[in-house]
Amino acid sequence: MSGYTEGIIILLCINAIAAMGVSLLTGFTGIFSLGHAAYMAVGAYTTAILTVEYGVHYIPAILLGGAMAMIVAYVIGVPTLKLMGDYYAIASIGLGETIRLILENWQSLTRGARGYPGIEGYTTLYVSLGFFAVMAFGMFNLIHSRFGRAFKSCRDDYIAASLLGFNTARYRVLSLVLSAFYCGVSGALLGGFLSFIQPIMFDMIKSTELTSVVVFGGLGSMSGTLIGAAVITLVTELFRPISQYRMLIYGAVLVIIMVLRPEGIMGQYELGPRFFRMLKNRFTKESSEKEGEPS
Amino acid sequence: MKRTCIAVLVLAVVLCLGAGAAMAADTVKIGYLAALTGDWAAYGQTEANTAQLAVEEINAQGGLLGKQVELVVYDFRTRAEDAVNAVRRLAEEDKVVGIVGANGSGINIATAPLVNRYGIPQIGTVSTNPLVTVDQKGKVRPFSFRVCFTDPYQGKLIAYFSAIELKRMNAAILYDVGSDYSQGLREFFMKSYGEYGGKMVADLGFRGGQDVDFRAQLTEIRDKKADVLILPNMGKEMALIMKQARELGMDDIIFVGGDGYAEFMWEIAGDAMENSYWINHVSPEDPAMAPFFASYKAKYNDECKEFVNGILGYDGMYLMFDAIKRAGKADPKLIAKALSETKDLQLHHAVITFDEFHNPLDKDGIIIVAKDGHGQFYMKIKPE
Amino acid sequence: MDTFLQQTINGLSLGSVYALIAVGYSLVYSILLFSNFAHGGFLVIGGYICYFALKSMGVSIWVAGFLSLLGAGFSAVLTERLAYKPIRERTNVTLYLLIASMGMSIVIENIFVIVVGGRFRALPPVIPTHPVHLFGLATTSAFDILSLLAAVFFLGALQLFLIKTKWGLAIRAAAYDLKTAGLMGVNVNLLISIVFFVAGFLAAVGGIFLSVRYTLYPQLGMITIKAFVAAVIGGLGSLPGAVVGSLILGLAEMLTAGFISSQLRDIVVFSLLIITLLIRPQGLFGKNISEKV
Repeated sequence: MSGYTEGIIILLCINAIAAMGVSLLTGFTGIFSLGHAAYMAVGAYTTAILTVEYGVHYIPAILLGGAMAMIVAYVIGVPTLKLMGDYYAIASIGLGETIRLILENWQSLTRGARGYPGIEGYTTLYVSLGFFAVMAFGMFNLIHSRFGRAFKSCRDDYIAASLLGFNTARYRVLSLVLSAFYCGVSGALLGGFLSFIQPIMFDMIKSTELTSVVVFGGLGSMSGTLIGAAVITLVTELFRPISQYRMLIYGAVLVIIMVLRPEGIMGQYELGPRFFRMLKNRFTKESSEKEGEPS
Repeated sequence: MKRTCIAVLVLAVVLCLGAGAAMAADTVKIGYLAALTGDWAAYGQTEANTAQLAVEEINAQGGLLGKQVELVVYDFRTRAEDAVNAVRRLAEEDKVVGIVGANGSGINIATAPLVNRYGIPQIGTVSTNPLVTVDQKGKVRPFSFRVCFTDPYQGKLIAYFSAIELKRMNAAILYDVGSDYSQGLREFFMKSYGEYGGKMVADLGFRGGQDVDFRAQLTEIRDKKADVLILPNMGKEMALIMKQARELGMDDIIFVGGDGYAEFMWEIAGDAMENSYWINHVSPEDPAMAPFFASYKAKYNDECKEFVNGILGYDGMYLMFDAIKRAGKADPKLIAKALSETKDLQLHHAVITFDEFHNPLDKDGIIIVAKDGHGQFYMKIKPE
Repeated sequence: MDTFLQQTINGLSLGSVYALIAVGYSLVYSILLFSNFAHGGFLVIGGYICYFALKSMGVSIWVAGFLSLLGAGFSAVLTERLAYKPIRERTNVTLYLLIASMGMSIVIENIFVIVVGGRFRALPPVIPTHPVHLFGLATTSAFDILSLLAAVFFLGALQLFLIKTKWGLAIRAAAYDLKTAGLMGVNVNLLISIVFFVAGFLAAVGGIFLSVRYTLYPQLGMITIKAFVAAVIGGLGSLPGAVVGSLILGLAEMLTAGFISSQLRDIVVFSLLIITLLIRPQGLFGKNISEKV
């Protein structure tokens, strides 16, 4: 396999891991975030500092990076997740930017905007594929477990869910913490891929990219998220020869998918027998079908 | 409707794939990394233009090694992860023999391990961070080069000029917290300025991109009675700072800036530009550069206002051409060797000799003074 | 004391420009309940129209300004028709509108990157910027006073429009309940178009002032994020809130930078946002939000 394909696949794995985290939060728990790149930053910096300054092996360091992102998310999440809907989304912009600004100003630890060089290039094809496989396996099990159903109930009707005895506040925080872990690991892998990190890499543009991947793939569909991550990563790669138009196309694709199919590519379906049944039904009686959004 | 849309998308993807794979004639391919979108688009677009100009000129003279030169320009939308894959693509799909760019140290540092693994020489255009050509242990990266001078050197030039030439000993600095370039220059300036006996009276930051209002910091600088204001920033911010400083009635303070100077700043700052000094790689008035400006104007009908980026991109290409000629073969490893042996090479803007760390040795600092509506050559300096 | 006065004046003049933009965010939010991130794009469109009208057509600033306001207004309406209308007709999930608006802002930015290039451009000096001394106590530029006056003028005109005209009444009604307003015989699509026109119109006013002061480039729209923060602090959907929030933010920025640390300026801005959301999520002047069951 050529190194170029390898590079694309590694980046794809990194993007997909972060997207799965955001998908759990946005797609399954119904909390919309515009600041998740900050958790990637926390993971990336923690891992970088651990491996470079303390000589920790990269695998525990990556996991610790994820754990650090979880801790930050917990501290942030407990007070702020009381906010609902748009208001949390807006707060998350502020939170994400604040974390990034702290990293930029904490020069003794992070070396500020000049970036953190000399990270070992530990993110090889197999490492990234390995992490992706394990984390995807974990995620698919999670969403089909008791927790997954609890998350979905928080999304669909949190008042009814709390009447049924779910501690919705706790599930919301749990969902944020888990998604922060995924983003933290993804950030740590990105650090190993580039062997150099700068706070500016984790700005609001990166955050919105993550969220748009999830919406693009389908809110409430993990396989949709993976397809979304693949499509967005590949589209930006494929259109490289027409450099200037790339971002225009990216923006236009986002608008078009929202206009034509706002529920995303997969809607709430997973790639499986049910999805194909739905597809078949759709094509046989297209007109009578309502715009598919099972509740 | 929906299905037509999808069909069109698929078709576009297929076409693009095809277009990418179809070109494989016998040419010498040189890659160029330029930020064509995002915050640095103004600089990246100019660099891409001047690189294309250089290629057309060399092809008109018969190309290199008897072959035509082909330029492959890729955007990296100012993001390192995108640049890394652009480099992989340049190396593996396009099989370039060398890469010129990028116009940002962070990007060059992220792509450096990769080009060194592939063994393809890369020449940074305005990447002034020392870590572009050496790793953090101080070992030189064999395939990384730059055509500009470094931050420590530029910081020293600014300090030397302010303290020794201008004799202004109470400096204030206003730098961009979010920019590695700006932070680097600040660090090295402050070190050298102290050594020359100057005193820092104010050290203030702002955030580029979002901050466009500097009056709060300027008011403080005014109150601290600084007599020279150091501006290690990008053109837009520096122009705004100067304009706002004069609006606040700071008439006596002298502005000294780095190589972020660009002619478009006149449009923004107007008269506030007058009598400011700029440490630079090149002067737009340099007679040696006149043919360049003329052909740029003829080809693009534009004044090349981001001339520092433009000229360094242009001369970065000529540096690469020269190395390819001396290597005698389109082999990246030989080209890198030829590059590292570059000695007394007359480029358009300067004479280049590389030191052991692949930095141009003792390039003169050109001081530009802003006078009568445009930047004029003031003096050459070379601190001891 | 002098410094304090100076920083206060600086803060108010910055806040007044934020206000022009923040009002647009709030206006759209009050009707459609989503944050229109393409708003910065309208500002950029207004700025470029003004620039090219001045440079290529050689018209006066009044004509150029008028064209720019109209142009930005109509492009806002067009954006709504193309990107938002199909979505809001199909679903009431405002999240989709939010994502579409992000897409539109990327599209608008990159159209300008491709068509006119990324270069920073400055409008010809059509608005005076010479220093003005206020009673010998502080110095400000004529431009700041003009931008403050323009903000007051346009915001006053907007207030009159909302209070005195029939369409103003309809907009206020729709802000309470869009569906019911529709049932009462208000032409909802026309109403939304008018709202977007007004939002784009005001954004262009901000755009002209911003591009005179801070130059014009395709990414200029990004700085509206601060105006957005101001709108949230004041209370999304509330016009007086947007104005007050903008002034608070402008002052907070300038006073932090002047007296504490310029590096902390943005951290203060975003902390202010988070604290407001935690203590009073509806903002200073916002409608009480009650989640519908």
